[in-house]
Amino acid sequence: MARSKEPLVLCMDVGFSMSNSEPGQEPSFEQAKKVIQKFVQRQVFAENKDEVGLVLFGTDGTKNGLAKDGQYENITVHRHLMMPDFELLEEIESELQPGGQQADWLDALVVCMDLLQKETMGKKFERLNIVLLTDLNVQTSADQLDVIIDSLKKAGITLQFFLPFPVDGEDRADGGGDGPGPSAAPARPGKGLSRQQTQGLEMVKNIMTSLEEEDSLEEVYTFSDALQKLSIFKRIDRRPMAWPCQLTIGSSLTIRIVGYKAVTEEKVKKSWAIVEAQSHQRDDVKRETVYCLDDDNETEVQKDDTIQGFRYGSDIVPFSKVDEDQMKYKSDGKCFSVLGFTKQELVRCSPFMGSQVVKVFAPRDDEHAAVALSALIRALDSLKMAAIVRYAYDRRSNPQVGAAFPCIKEKYECLLYVQLPFMEDLRQFTFPVLENNKKFTPSASQLSAVDALIDSMMLVEKDEDGESVDVFKVNHFPNPQFQRLFQCLHHRGVNPDDPLPPVEPWLKRDLERPQAVSARCQTALQDVKTKFPLKVVVKKKEQKTSADVFGSRGAFLTGIFRSSGICSSKVKNRPPAHVELKTSCLQHALLFSDALTLISKDEVDGSTFSKQDANQVLIAYSLQVLRSSFEIFLF
Amino acid sequence: MAEWRKYYPNEDDEVEEDEEDSGGDYKISGRDSLVFLVDASKEMFIKGEDGEPSNFDMTMQCVRSVYTSKIISSDKDLVALVFYGTEQSKNPRNSFKHVYVYHDLDSPGSQRLLDIEKLLGEKGAQFAEKTMGSGETSLGDALWCCSNLYSDIKLRLSHKRLMIFTCRDDPHRGDGAKDRQARTKAADLKETGVVIDLMHLTKPGGFDVSLFFCDIVSPPEDESELGLQIEPSRKLEDLQKRVRAKELKKRSQSRLTFSLGEGVNLAVGVYVLARTATKPSAVKLHRDTNEPVRTKTRYFHAHNGGILLPNDMKRAQVYGKKQIVMEKDEVDKIKKFDDPGLVLMGFKPMDRLKLHHHIRPALFIYPEEEQISGSSCMFTALLLQCSENNLFALCRYIPRRNTPPRFVALVPQREELDQSQSQATPPGFHVIFLPFADDIRTVDAHVGPTASDEQVDKMKEIVHKLRFKYKSDAFENPVLQQHYRNLEALALNMLEPEPIEDLTMPKVQMMNARLGPLAQEFKDLAYPPDYNPEGRPAAKRKTAESGGGAAEKKPKVEMSEEELKNHVAKCTLGKLTVPVLKDAYACKQFGIRSTGTKKQELIDALTMHLSK
Repeated sequence: MARSKEPLVLCMDVGFSMSNSEPGQEPSFEQAKKVIQKFVQRQVFAENKDEVGLVLFGTDGTKNGLAKDGQYENITVHRHLMMPDFELLEEIESELQPGGQQADWLDALVVCMDLLQKETMGKKFERLNIVLLTDLNVQTSADQLDVIIDSLKKAGITLQFFLPFPVDGEDRADGGGDGPGPSAAPARPGKGLSRQQTQGLEMVKNIMTSLEEEDSLEEVYTFSDALQKLSIFKRIDRRPMAWPCQLTIGSSLTIRIVGYKAVTEEKVKKSWAIVEAQSHQRDDVKRETVYCLDDDNETEVQKDDTIQGFRYGSDIVPFSKVDEDQMKYKSDGKCFSVLGFTKQELVRCSPFMGSQVVKVFAPRDDEHAAVALSALIRALDSLKMAAIVRYAYDRRSNPQVGAAFPCIKEKYECLLYVQLPFMEDLRQFTFPVLENNKKFTPSASQLSAVDALIDSMMLVEKDEDGESVDVFKVNHFPNPQFQRLFQCLHHRGVNPDDPLPPVEPWLKRDLERPQAVSARCQTALQDVKTKFPLKVVVKKKEQKTSADVFGSRGAFLTGIFRSSGICSSKVKNRPPAHVELKTSCLQHALLFSDALTLISKDEVDGSTFSKQDANQVLIAYSLQVLRSSFEIFLF
Repeated sequence: MAEWRKYYPNEDDEVEEDEEDSGGDYKISGRDSLVFLVDASKEMFIKGEDGEPSNFDMTMQCVRSVYTSKIISSDKDLVALVFYGTEQSKNPRNSFKHVYVYHDLDSPGSQRLLDIEKLLGEKGAQFAEKTMGSGETSLGDALWCCSNLYSDIKLRLSHKRLMIFTCRDDPHRGDGAKDRQARTKAADLKETGVVIDLMHLTKPGGFDVSLFFCDIVSPPEDESELGLQIEPSRKLEDLQKRVRAKELKKRSQSRLTFSLGEGVNLAVGVYVLARTATKPSAVKLHRDTNEPVRTKTRYFHAHNGGILLPNDMKRAQVYGKKQIVMEKDEVDKIKKFDDPGLVLMGFKPMDRLKLHHHIRPALFIYPEEEQISGSSCMFTALLLQCSENNLFALCRYIPRRNTPPRFVALVPQREELDQSQSQATPPGFHVIFLPFADDIRTVDAHVGPTASDEQVDKMKEIVHKLRFKYKSDAFENPVLQQHYRNLEALALNMLEPEPIEDLTMPKVQMMNARLGPLAQEFKDLAYPPDYNPEGRPAAKRKTAESGGGAAEKKPKVEMSEEELKNHVAKCTLGKLTVPVLKDAYACKQFGIRSTGTKKQELIDALTMHLSK
């Protein structure tokens, strides 16, 4: 099943005004370039198949399909719709330069629309996107605006704007829960804009409000937003696959449903291949797995001569793959069957399992199913109950037991499915009492110190309207692991011989406490520090190493190990039980070492064994004895 | 469908990644051991009222369940079963009378399970009478014998526990000398690190712990712990719960520093209270001898055949035509952001924690006083104040070296006791993993008509009829259960495995009966008469297939090299289907493995070859 694509055109202003900057600030051009770089980097390394085009305006030259009779000049189609690749990244890095001209951003928008329309002709796609990065600092002719808006609508094109300043100074800074995070640079308010920019901004608002009914201005970002919260590009991410099924209650009540994976831990998709260090060729490395008996000779066994078995306590039961398949639990296909209903609070106490949350809707074209599901959702919601269901994705997958919670939002209703534990998954641990334990009971002054700390470290603040605003929305942060990986891949790809770059500062910042909170909590933190004595306990017993086992003669023995060709780490890496078992064997060794120590104590303290040439003969002799005795237990 | 399969990543992959989590400090510390010391006096065999099982029978059922759970979850642990107060004697050197070692300390297997089954029920009582009988009691001797069992073990034991099951609070009937001897022997055992627990059972007139046993058992873990359960276990359930709570040594997955801010650090242990139990991986055996076989993986150079050491290999990824190479340790280092630990970011009200932001099972933290003294007090203060103000703490969490960070919510949980005064919920913080933006998918909501009040009310009746009280340990995993039943059948040479009861299947008959006419009434309200919710769109697919589409749809598309190169140049290889790509491989004979290769890998390899 081929997935429909979401082609996207990046349209960047490279005109001369983009190179201007206020003192201490990066020019808009550099910021916009970084946004594009980050975005393409993500697309390339996430191996996103959506095609990307790149249109520049304000370029010295002109290269586009509409240019004629002096119209649409200084607009260059740098790259047609193509899958983003490493070359594009390299091009952006080396070829994307500021231009010396200015061009009308509305003209550029028309070029992008033309490009999208021509190059997606006859192809399937889900939606078309244009991302416009500009400082709006150019004279535009607004006379075509209505026509443009109209054709954007007709073609189903969505727009995103990235500007150097916020669209609405005051509103953007603190309004809307989805605003920028705390670490975003302070937004420059609307003043200080040129006449063109003010006019341009009005047009942007005009376009965005005409395209979408509400929240339209949420698709207008600042460059600094974009750099820090690349997640806003999510809009063009892939949609999860639909899972059609039927919700059953007993055998007579069935409701058609469709499930979507709504939340799941996104993992790094691509794995690392092994290549030969010199040639960097994958084919130069061959991997071979051999089977051998656990005997002294490690007798090799052919793969065909092995069978499969499973541990059953102390026994190993031979159990062939064929038998296993035949005898294993068989599930009768996909299902979403209600086992019963229970109080939500009972389910909330239970740990949630699995790694996903599934949203369950009625199919789009089935209003009867929608009504039936709505009845269930609303009934559960008003009774504060949840459905316990058996969920099986398909015939091959293991069944789960999970809970379906009702979820009623302003715009839609659905069930949220989460997996619950099986009895085998639970571990009942009992922990010693904390609260009524005299040793650990905090005093009133300690408690108030903690209270003060909590107050100073609240991540939810009240805004002017008394609405509380979350200033640290983790679910708006991109996973730093991906950002870091992509950064390193990009860097190594461009500079194969350089060491890896340090973590980007903004990425590090995202992982730190918001600065405002950090500053606010200092006093309270100091108070806590003085009121709670916290002391690192000096360890008496670290993990046993050879040095512990051998006592003060450790260094000496390590020397012997080394000289006798037995790596001392071999001893360290053995499980202690193993080492301990062999202590008796060591006793013999220690006798020798004692004898030796007597002879050359001073040299031993220097721990370099080679110094002891005076006793070479004796040592050579004892080494041999030691070696044989060690080999017995090490191999 | 490929995308959906990602829903269920190979279980093996996950196991590999989690391996480190599960181990905890198990490998370093050695094995757990547990000795069941069971009273076999006449009193133990007296049946309860109303045909309730005897104390002995209850104990044996409990022992059996521990054996099976050990087999499933920790097959390396050692378990022993010793009876005291028997007529017959059987112990390693036969130096103790009236002590019968039924099983010495060893890991449980199928044979031992069979042995236990012989002691169950009515027949079990007869069997016990025949083989062991009931006689004089000397707990001192029994404890002495157990201490010998421990000292005979050559393996390193991490956790030694001994559980006494009895219904007699004064086993020596006032014989002071025997009492004294028992106390001495108990003290000796405790000195060697054995924890002695009493699982006392019902006795007419009540079990008086203070008579004798209070001096035998180990003091509670710390002075404030509840210590001896005053009430004896009446029901098997109670007993099993008590045994289970003690039987598993709680083991922290890791110990970490929890930093509240500069210079304010406490130590916490991270515990796994729930983790998906999976089928253990298969072991390879030699066909002829059933001996376990080890696997060794070697890398060698394709041309000169030389063995490749880790230093001779690097890691690479290919994007389009570009191969990017890194050292192994660079690949690891990329994942490093900071040292392991929890770092406090701040606090948020509980209502900011979204139910549906679930990506991984939660963990649990509890203070580690032994690492940083004062941790418990600081931790308790935080716990109290968070719980009081209905807040959670937001932290950055790095579980171990070279692991990227995640944000977690620390949700306070105060201790709660159940009716029998045992801990229902332990005190500490749950560690809930929070999703990043990448983990949240954009789902276009389906908006449809909503139900009328009448329809909702009818559904409420349905919901009401099918209410039940959910308990998290109510469902067994049928896949695992079947697997172990199969193994059990094979190990014990049974004709066929015992059938399992699949608790995950809806009890359709019962549900229908409870609903009665309600289901039909709801359907009449919500569905038009001709509507069939079971009618699937699958019908459409069928007609397409019956038209012979399947056969015709697959004309062999063979790409010429020219065409392929074209695709490579335009980066449009991704548009081709996998079979086409594979064909391209086969006919070009590039000599690259095309089975079991992912599409992207095919594309990468093809690009490499064609752009040479």
